[in-house]
Amino acid sequence: MSAYIWALYAREVKRFQKIWFDTVASPVVSTLLYLLIFGVVTAGRSIEGVDYKAFVYAGLLGMVMVNSSFSNPMFALILSKNVGTIVDIQLAPISPARVGMAYAMAAFTRGIITVFIAGLITVWFIPGVGLDHPLILMAALVITGIEFGLFGVIFGLLLKNFESLTFLMTFVMQPMIFLAGVFYPISLLPKPWDFVSIFNPLHHNINLIRYGLVGYSDTAPLLSFAVIVVLSLVLFGAMNAVASRALRK
Amino acid sequence: MLALEVKNITKVFNGKNGKDILANNDISLNIEEGKIYGLLGPNGAGKSTLINIISGIMLPAKGEVKVFGHDIVKETVKAKKTMGVVPQEIVTELAFTVEEILYYTSGMYGAGIGERKKLIDKVLDDLDLGDKRQERARNLSGGMKRRLMIAKAIIRRPKFLILDEPTSGVDVALRQKTWELVRRMNKEGTTILFTTHYIEEAEQLCEEISLVNHGEVVKQGRVSDIQREFTENEIVFELYDISAEQLPGVNKNGNEFQLPVHDLQVDMSKVIKHYGTNLKSVKSGAASLENIFLKLTAE
Ligand SMILES: Nc1ncnc2c1ncn2[C@@H]1O[C@H](COP(=O)(O)OP(=O)(O)OP(=O)(O)O)[C@@H](O)[C@H]1O
Ligand SMILES: [Mg+2]
Repeated sequence: MSAYIWALYAREVKRFQKIWFDTVASPVVSTLLYLLIFGVVTAGRSIEGVDYKAFVYAGLLGMVMVNSSFSNPMFALILSKNVGTIVDIQLAPISPARVGMAYAMAAFTRGIITVFIAGLITVWFIPGVGLDHPLILMAALVITGIEFGLFGVIFGLLLKNFESLTFLMTFVMQPMIFLAGVFYPISLLPKPWDFVSIFNPLHHNINLIRYGLVGYSDTAPLLSFAVIVVLSLVLFGAMNAVASRALRK
Repeated sequence: MLALEVKNITKVFNGKNGKDILANNDISLNIEEGKIYGLLGPNGAGKSTLINIISGIMLPAKGEVKVFGHDIVKETVKAKKTMGVVPQEIVTELAFTVEEILYYTSGMYGAGIGERKKLIDKVLDDLDLGDKRQERARNLSGGMKRRLMIAKAIIRRPKFLILDEPTSGVDVALRQKTWELVRRMNKEGTTILFTTHYIEEAEQLCEEISLVNHGEVVKQGRVSDIQREFTENEIVFELYDISAEQLPGVNKNGNEFQLPVHDLQVDMSKVIKHYGTNLKSVKSGAASLENIFLKLTAE
């Protein structure tokens, strides 16, 4: 890849590095709080041989990955539209698809750094978390980061202001998170919600990351893998279409 | 070779209450490589809209733009690689320093990591921003922000530099410096397109201009030709002694006398020879762009 797109990628990485403490502190604190509550409430329980705390922990790390990579490009793009600095990427000799990829890769970078640091700080509280399938975990994190980075790019280009962002978070992201099986296996959900959850894209990211980390999965890992790969490709196409229109009207 | 070819560009905006705004109406213009070209017109004439279309950040409804032969819609990236653009509105990154902005901008225009320091040194020197290198861009004064915008546009030494009102809200010293820099870059081979409200700037800097009003080109061509066309076709003079014998063909109009011109040089010397020291004042010759501008854009 050429210097052009790398420079844009590096710029976006630099942007969150400037606020790296905020970037990492909030996911670490919220992960610890969740663990504390679930640890107390579910002490001693387990799901198919996996300690419940470890189960939740894997789901929470998945959420950290999703949230960081989703919000990074979205905030950066909405802000730059409001400040007017979006003109810099409109003028640069970089195609809209590549602009979007640079933002998505920066999103993945932020996600992976945040997960790594958050994981390193919190893993000591969860005895028995290993790396069951490290390669699958790595692949799941990479694809999840790019996938939600692309989501973030699309919404960052479509949404006009931070009010619509709040709306999106409340009415789309929150329900998706609750039906993703972060806190419990989806098989425990009453019908038809267990079935609905299968169609929740987020479920498959969490499922695969958890499988990589603790070896437990709700849904066949291969199915989840196929879903997130296909979805990422679809999102790439959608991002390209949205970016071409949004960056030149 | 043509640096810029604009053919029949039309752009329509959806205005409030459903009324369409015809911001550009069938605009065409050509700029030869190596020239300085001025785009003039009153507020809302459609200058920035045209510049946005040329620089690839707006789509025209109709028409075609080629930059060094590359179609801006079909070969956008290739066309953009030849251009540096200074937009009219000043915008600054909130988080970055001057140096960081130039570092990433030069990269986004293709400079490798190893080249960038030299490019930054040079452009900071060109724009007198050396002592602001580590300053956060948002803390610069308005004029400095404007210079930073120019620095971003020229850091990779584009073949074609576009400036949308680079001197509005800028003090006289900086205005002169900006034009010095533009002249120097032009001498080094850069083609320039700029818009301005200061007509004397266009008069001094460019050979050719387009005058736009209400989205349409109302006058276009070499500055000297336009001036010749609008030269008043009479010599107007005042006399101390109005009872003096008049040249044939002279009309009296209040305190002034008018002589229709056939050949400006010949007739002018006739007037001076005939009236000599009796002349209180005499005027004619090339109309200023300012007057032409006012005449053409008057409602
Ligand atoms: N994004 C937009 N949406 C709707 N109308 C627009 C938009 N941009 C410009 N216009 C309208 O198009 C017309 C031309 O505007 P433009 O900015 O091109 O003028 P200009 O010649 O650059 O003026 P100025 O000298 O004030 O900068 C104006 O009537 C303006 O209101
Ligand atoms: Mg303008």
